[in-house]
Amino acid sequence: MTMLTTPIEADLPLYFGTGAELFGLYQPAGAPAGKAVLLCPPLGQEQIRCHRLYRQLAHALAAEGIAVLRFDYYGCGDSAGASDEVDWQRCLADTRDAANELRRRSRTDRIVAFGARLGGSIALAATGAARFSELVVWDPVLDGNAYVERMEAMQAALRQDPQRFCTPRQVSDADGQWLGFPIGTSLRQALIELHCGPANVPVWILDSLEPAATREWQSLGVHASQIKTLQPPTPWDDLGRLEMAILSHAVIQAVTAHVRELA
Amino acid sequence: MKEQAFRFGRAHHMVGVAGVPTANAHAVGVVVLNAGLVHRIGPFRLHVDLTRRLNACGYPTLRFDLSTVGDSGASGEPQTRDQQVRADVADAVSLLSRQSGCTRVVLIGLCSGAQNAHAVACTDASVAGAIFLDGYAYRTVGYRLRHYLPRLFDAGRWLRALAPRPHPPTPRSTEPVFSVAAMPRDVVRSDFASMLDRGLKLRLIYSGGISNYFNHARQFRECFGRVVTRPGASTRFIREADHTYSLACDRNRLLDDIEHWLTSHFPVATAGVPS
Repeated sequence: MTMLTTPIEADLPLYFGTGAELFGLYQPAGAPAGKAVLLCPPLGQEQIRCHRLYRQLAHALAAEGIAVLRFDYYGCGDSAGASDEVDWQRCLADTRDAANELRRRSRTDRIVAFGARLGGSIALAATGAARFSELVVWDPVLDGNAYVERMEAMQAALRQDPQRFCTPRQVSDADGQWLGFPIGTSLRQALIELHCGPANVPVWILDSLEPAATREWQSLGVHASQIKTLQPPTPWDDLGRLEMAILSHAVIQAVTAHVRELA
Repeated sequence: MKEQAFRFGRAHHMVGVAGVPTANAHAVGVVVLNAGLVHRIGPFRLHVDLTRRLNACGYPTLRFDLSTVGDSGASGEPQTRDQQVRADVADAVSLLSRQSGCTRVVLIGLCSGAQNAHAVACTDASVAGAIFLDGYAYRTVGYRLRHYLPRLFDAGRWLRALAPRPHPPTPRSTEPVFSVAAMPRDVVRSDFASMLDRGLKLRLIYSGGISNYFNHARQFRECFGRVVTRPGASTRFIREADHTYSLACDRNRLLDDIEHWLTSHFPVATAGVPS
């Protein structure tokens, strides 16, 4: 059982970045901890499904005396921009800006990034620009093309889902969207070309994929000791649970303990 | 126009995002309530698209998280959920009023959000109107006829039902589903009547996503009687759409409807003045 070691202050909702276009929630630390954590959200429906877990994780880390910033990329959540304007390069730039905002507010240079799914992929890709010290990634998407194929298959299934629609919808009604969100052509192309390689900082992987899923963790250049397998598997791709929150105390406990123990 | 983020409320426990157009400072405000447990951005970011569309029309808006939902914490008060919701919305209206100068608001809620909007609209004098998305509804005789009759004469369905099954039926999921807890129909009908008596404007928009208990535009009248045909009330059934408007074309159709209804009933130039 996790003990609350520091009374936590309420998180502060704010807009930051160039033109104050990015929404964030800053959770201050009780006392300087020498490190702070940036929570990089996934994209699309996975961001909504993970919202509660990210909030719980922020509070758990704050209880350890660690400052945390949650934020939304441009075109996501409460940030400026329309959903179809989400752009991969802009996500990386926003992550860099968020890391700098966290440095400024926490007065800590050492930033650990956490990201689930594409949030993990973004954290991996932004490591250099955002000057992350360590990464914790949860079921990150490493093969973007396979991800795109899966999203499009799920979208095709969604438009014909009798649990959702009285009658199947036309292809044109569902075109250019993934699971409730319009997808711009540039983001789709960037994801098709996405192949995550080794980061030049320590990476710790939380693996909760289905047993049959393809794992390519070795492409990140990690040792087996840097991978923690969690049970039960997380139902990322279950259309029947599209609107159900992803909750995992195991993830919160594992990430909190890992960040606490970082030297 | 830039949106602003706030931590607010009697216990400083709630989080919301306000959009306040610089012109038309005295327009009626729009407050959007959580849809179920989805945080204030709404299903598939519906509430963000909605509030920004209304801001562009000149309406100040607030999307926020009720106590214990999304990013909001608990108020710490010993209250029923109903009391809490009323107090939360009162705090939200107060915030939007301070930011924009609006004195009256229209509430918008989907599913449990519609239920909460209903509860507040019953008693809160600052509420000028409400849009209930997949709010209260009841299976009627008409519903059952429309549901069962086509199945009765569907030969394919009979053949499938009588054929031996290669696999046992999949057990129903025990996980929670979206639903609005029923309140007696007479109470809801009487609430609608008293809201209209007080001058509120009401818009009921129901989707095909609740076809397990609502399946035709006629059912508004079957459920609530003549009250939904009174001048202040209007209804629409969007059969093609699902419960949370997961397709962009359905979301746009919904936003068009809401914008048209608001600009018709609460035109920005004269908004805030009860008709």
